Amino acid sequence: MRGSRRSGKNGPLRSLFSRPVTGPSPEPPEPPDALNKARLHGSLQLRHIDVGSCNGCELEIASALGPKYDAPQFGVRLVASPRHADGLLVTGVVTHNMIGPLHQTLAALPQPSVIVACGDCAVNGGIFKDAYGVAGTLDEVVSPDVLIPGCPPHPAAIVQALRSLTGR
Amino acid sequence: MTLLLVGLGFCLLGVLTSALPRTYRVPVTASCAALGCALAFCAAMRVLVTGDTVSFHTTLILPLNGFAMTLDPLGALFIVATALVGFASCVYCIGYVRGELQSRSAMGLFVAFILSLLAVPAASSIATLMLFWELMAVSSMLLIVVEHRHRREARDAALWYGVMTQLGAASILLGLLLLTLRGGGQTFTEIKSHADALSPIVRSSAFMLVLLGFASKAGAVPLHVWLPKAHPEAPSPVSAMMSSSMVAMGVYGIIRVGDDLLHGGTVWWWIAVVALGTLSALYGALHATTSTDIKRLLAYSTIDILGLVLIGVGAAGALRDTGHPAVAQLALMAALLLVVAHAGFKGALFLGAGAVERATGTRDLDQLGGLIHRMPVTTTIFALSACSIMAVPTLSGFSSEWLLLQGLLHGFTDASTPTLIALLVGIVALALTGGLTAVAFVKALGIGFLGQARTLGAVNATEVAPTMQIAMALLGAVSIVLGLVPGLVVPLINRAAQSGLSRSTMSPLARGTGLVLAQLRGAIQPAFLFVGAAAVLVAVWLINRRLVHRSARRVDAWGCGRDVQTARMQYTATSFGEPLQRVFADVLRPQSDVELTHVAESRYYEQSLKYQNQVSDAVEQFGYRPVIDAVLRGGKAARRIQNGSIHRYLAFGFVALLVVLVVLA
Repeated sequence: MRGSRRSGKNGPLRSLFSRPVTGPSPEPPEPPDALNKARLHGSLQLRHIDVGSCNGCELEIASALGPKYDAPQFGVRLVASPRHADGLLVTGVVTHNMIGPLHQTLAALPQPSVIVACGDCAVNGGIFKDAYGVAGTLDEVVSPDVLIPGCPPHPAAIVQALRSLTGR
Repeated sequence: MTLLLVGLGFCLLGVLTSALPRTYRVPVTASCAALGCALAFCAAMRVLVTGDTVSFHTTLILPLNGFAMTLDPLGALFIVATALVGFASCVYCIGYVRGELQSRSAMGLFVAFILSLLAVPAASSIATLMLFWELMAVSSMLLIVVEHRHRREARDAALWYGVMTQLGAASILLGLLLLTLRGGGQTFTEIKSHADALSPIVRSSAFMLVLLGFASKAGAVPLHVWLPKAHPEAPSPVSAMMSSSMVAMGVYGIIRVGDDLLHGGTVWWWIAVVALGTLSALYGALHATTSTDIKRLLAYSTIDILGLVLIGVGAAGALRDTGHPAVAQLALMAALLLVVAHAGFKGALFLGAGAVERATGTRDLDQLGGLIHRMPVTTTIFALSACSIMAVPTLSGFSSEWLLLQGLLHGFTDASTPTLIALLVGIVALALTGGLTAVAFVKALGIGFLGQARTLGAVNATEVAPTMQIAMALLGAVSIVLGLVPGLVVPLINRAAQSGLSRSTMSPLARGTGLVLAQLRGAIQPAFLFVGAAAVLVAVWLINRRLVHRSARRVDAWGCGRDVQTARMQYTATSFGEPLQRVFADVLRPQSDVELTHVAESRYYEQSLKYQNQVSDAVEQFGYRPVIDAVLRGGKAARRIQNGSIHRYLAFGFVALLVVLVVLA
């Protein structure tokens, strides 16, 4: 008993006796109208596809899933195959090279599914909209359910948008 | 007996009709041999059903010693198995034969081979047995080299087989001759009556010599090296006969000499048999998982199944003098049932492999694929037989392996410690080989027959001739009958086991369609199991059709967004076996080799990359190669004396004569 008291506030056994430092997270935002929140049951498996991004959005997604913004604690996870996914996380403007794989990925996705457009390029074409390698914007291929604007979007904004889907 | 002799006579007629002109040769010869097999089947079945022993003796054929044949239930069971596969192989031949096997000598040899296989289990004197044994060895060896013009490997295989089988035959002959030391007669009845008078050392050394010869025929590790070479190189009907009948003759010999002629002997003989069986079962199953040549895979799985049979035979021998003769009989019954079941499924698998080779021109699993769409009948029968060998319930492999497991488990009650250890090891081997066999045959079936065709040969494959399909279906039906209603054949197997153990205890199994142990606990009813499983399957199918199928959406296979997907991207047999090859690298000793050539300008870019991976037989590599090398070195050294000069040879003769004279004087 004495030993544990002597180890004090910063002793090695602190984690056994003190509560975690994180506070309660704020209430989740309202889901988009078209989506039925109940279907996802607080868990969202996403397959990420980069259809022509500058990699800025990828860095922010990595950050959003990292320890600081910690999207996994709200039930979001990236998976390796669209066959395992509830939805698609699209970044970038649709290029000629990626339009075929995008169609294949959409076909491989089990239905019903959600499409999340992350970053200005995916939302409306962004600054690369009229570049020579671009085939069109994402909404010409598939209409996104959730839009995350920003170039690049802030990790907190990404987490916020994903929480609107998981409802946690 | 007359029926069997008439059957053998028809086979002999088949040997003669192989001299007919090309157009009639194959159908007439094959029909004669098939008729011969059918008659032999009837004769053997009659012996099995009635339980009588019939014999035949004449001094006309083998002048010095006479020609003696006895058909007892033990031999009859092996004749039944042989006749089934022989009949199917003959029917198969009619559609299959093209090229070299069509030749006069090959057809004649094929029928002679069947004849010898039908006669070996009926032979009842040393001279008769060795006559047919040698006929079997020589005819099968010549049949292996039938296709030597296309395949150089066939010559090598035949040489290995010839040497091993002749050494084995010499060992068997020596062992049998030892048994005639007392008494002097060479018929089996005489040997049997004098066997107890022999000294234990003579009995043991005779059994060990005989075991050596018969075990090498049965493909027991480490005497198996000829088998994975010879079986793939022979034409497929011959492979089927070799794999399902000829190797069983080794088992027959061990039972005949050990159990019947020598009345069981001592326990350690049989523990040696169990050890051989365990080694073969594990080694064969392991190699089957890494083989990519379909016939080589089947050959290794033959070693595996024959290993299980030897475990059963060994357990029966070890338990026969303990308090539970019924358990010994159960183990022997299981081994015999496995022999018959193996004849059915392995025959069908080899014939199926032959059909695939005929249709696609290759035996390499990595070059097949998609055959289910092009050869539905062959694929169905191959799948059925593969399921049987994997011991899927309601098929023959399951019922025989279940019986074997019961025999081994019930032997625990009052076995001595060495026997107990042998039984335990046998059970573990049975369990492990079950899993490994499943891997091997999932690979053969999944890679070879499902998916997409990998080469043009597989794309252009078409279903084989109807006679070939009928032959395969016949052997496939054996798997179903022995699996669904094993209880119906159990009385016959029981007669064979009784005559093998020369006892007449009650059958350890109760009457009925299923397998129910009479005095011990344990029962299984495959027919009920099948009905239940079928009902569940139909229900699932209906529900799936009603509820799920309608809303299903068909899309292309997911290939990570790649635009072009080819059949070459499929899982291959090599990659399927690779994890196991890695795990068991110490036993399998795979040799892999990476050869990397850089471009001249920079070491960072490669010009070509070559990867080689090969699993050769480790026993051959490390056990046989050194011996062969030593023999060759000895031969080279001896050549120094033999320089080809006739003067020198005359001088040798003269000196030898002088030495003899001096010694005698």
